[in-house]
Amino acid sequence: MFLALLELRAARGRFLLMGSVVVLVAALVGIVSGFTTGLGDDTVSALRRLPATHVAFASGSASDQFARGLVDDRTATGWGREERAEATPLGVTLTRGTTGRGTEVDLAAFGVVPGAFTDPGADAGAPLDAARPGGIVVSRRLVDEGVRVGDTLTVDRLGITLDVVGTTGRSAYGHVPVAYVTTDTWRRIRFTVPGATARPAELPAQYSAVALRLPPDAGAAALAAADRRHGTRTVTLEQAFAAAPGYDGERLTMTSIQSFLFLIAPLVVGAFFAVWTVQRTPELALLRALGASRRRLLGHTLAQAALVVAAGTATGGALASAVGLLVGAQVPFSLPATTLAATLGAVALVGLAGTALTLRRVATVDPMTLLGAAR
Amino acid sequence: MSLHLDALTVTLGRGDSRTTALDGFGATFRPGVLTALVGPSGSGKSTLLAVAGALLRPDRGRVLLNGTDLAALGDRERARARRERVGYVFQSGNLLTGLTAEEQLLAAASIAGRRPRALRARARELLTEVGLAHRLAHRPDQLSGGERRRIALARALLLEPELLLVDEPTAAVDRSRAEDLAALLVRTTHRYGSVTVVATHDPVVTEAADATVDMLRPPVSASA
Ligand SMILES: Nc1ncnc2c1ncn2[C@@H]1O[C@H](COP(=O)(O)OP(=O)(O)OP(=O)(O)O)[C@@H](O)[C@H]1O
Ligand SMILES: [Mg+2]
Repeated sequence: MFLALLELRAARGRFLLMGSVVVLVAALVGIVSGFTTGLGDDTVSALRRLPATHVAFASGSASDQFARGLVDDRTATGWGREERAEATPLGVTLTRGTTGRGTEVDLAAFGVVPGAFTDPGADAGAPLDAARPGGIVVSRRLVDEGVRVGDTLTVDRLGITLDVVGTTGRSAYGHVPVAYVTTDTWRRIRFTVPGATARPAELPAQYSAVALRLPPDAGAAALAAADRRHGTRTVTLEQAFAAAPGYDGERLTMTSIQSFLFLIAPLVVGAFFAVWTVQRTPELALLRALGASRRRLLGHTLAQAALVVAAGTATGGALASAVGLLVGAQVPFSLPATTLAATLGAVALVGLAGTALTLRRVATVDPMTLLGAAR
Repeated sequence: MSLHLDALTVTLGRGDSRTTALDGFGATFRPGVLTALVGPSGSGKSTLLAVAGALLRPDRGRVLLNGTDLAALGDRERARARRERVGYVFQSGNLLTGLTAEEQLLAAASIAGRRPRALRARARELLTEVGLAHRLAHRPDQLSGGERRRIALARALLLEPELLLVDEPTAAVDRSRAEDLAALLVRTTHRYGSVTVVATHDPVVTEAADATVDMLRPPVSASA
């Protein structure tokens, strides 16, 4: 270790340069990872928090099912009669509203049956109540945007007036904060035409999907048979994320950026250590001539790489977290400590893998080249 | 206690550049004696030092250092012999860049598995002995060629090796410096009782040496 540190100090300029590159790569990976999680949450957190295992869509549409497909009441009740299945209709639609105090908000209205497993309840105020059909429970970000319990919220253009009865935690769909309403209210929002005044009873008894809770051992064949009976296409909750607007595209973009960074990291570190090893071949030959074992040279090359990579990724991680703190309020950025640690661990590992490329060269340095220099 | 070289044959290079650098060379070197190794350029002096110092394995023959045949050892054991038993001053390229004179010595201690801190005082003593007390914190690029060689000598002496090998210590050094270096080598050899072999062209060194071995007329030779 003594020698490794002496060498580090002797070449501190180069190692600092290398360290800063690692810092930047690690920070970039961290930031991209924060945006991946943040954007993902912003698109599907409302779905993720549904305590459902599966979602049944109307058969016939393969993308954007929440917006395109409609299932009717019978489908929901039919699914509910399946053995060991719980089913409840779910409405999802994007809309806009204005509070009595003039705050304008975008919102994703989630229609749920009060008391069903999809009902989020309320952290503050009162939960949805079938007896008070005009109630709305808003999620955290709407509260941040200025919507309060007790406000009235008018759905733009439709003139439907709702009472904010409660609030619940962070929940978003398609980059829009979610508000929960009863299925009846949801049908009014979804099916009322601006200007027309249809009574709820005259509106179609249809919903975006059926949220399902199926036993863990539900087989694919049984699922397919049930789908045929009810005219639906059932996917797991996770697969249903893809039905959220933009989810797949965003993920693809972010993961490809991340993959490139994971490719770049070992190449950068590897290239640096390759140049560094070639540069100090005469010194390695001298160390071998003085009796240093191969293992020792490998050990201290690795120790140096590990130190630079570890210090670099740690600093990069701190930088990414700082960026997260700075921009987290304005943009969807979420970098939990575990994600950060896992990401940085991966960066450090691939970085070290890059050094491994040069280890062979270190191991095969011939001490006799020193005599060549002396001739 | 001695270095006994027995019927050493060394060929270097491959194909057209293949050269027989040593051909059945034999000689015995005694402890506490500085032997000057002389012979024209290309006669195999450096090659002989490399073989004696366990850097190069001969094609044939034995290198008996106090009874162990260094030529018969494996790669790992030869590395161990180099760090524990041999002090080697190369003709050039002796020092590690960026390290101070003192650190050059401590690095060697660390390679040999010794605690650098425990040898710091000794390192300073040796550097003083080679006349570099005022250069402890200088790095190679801040030192003259002769000073660099004296540091290498101090480093070779740090662990009191049984065998001290020095290649052309006075090349490109003025006469008075050469005399100082030769005297230093003789003095340390006598003091530490090492088997010392110095490859040289320089009459200053040959005159100071206790014995001389001529590459062209080795004392014990077995023709291959
Ligand atoms: N790698 C090599 N491949 C082929 N031949 C070599 C190689 N290294 C040295 N030789 C040859 O081996 C012979 C002995 O070389 P060596 O360096 O031992 O001579 P030397 O006596 O030290 O010469 P000098 O006084 O010039 O330092 C020379 O003829 C040299 O050309
Ligand atoms: Mg030579």
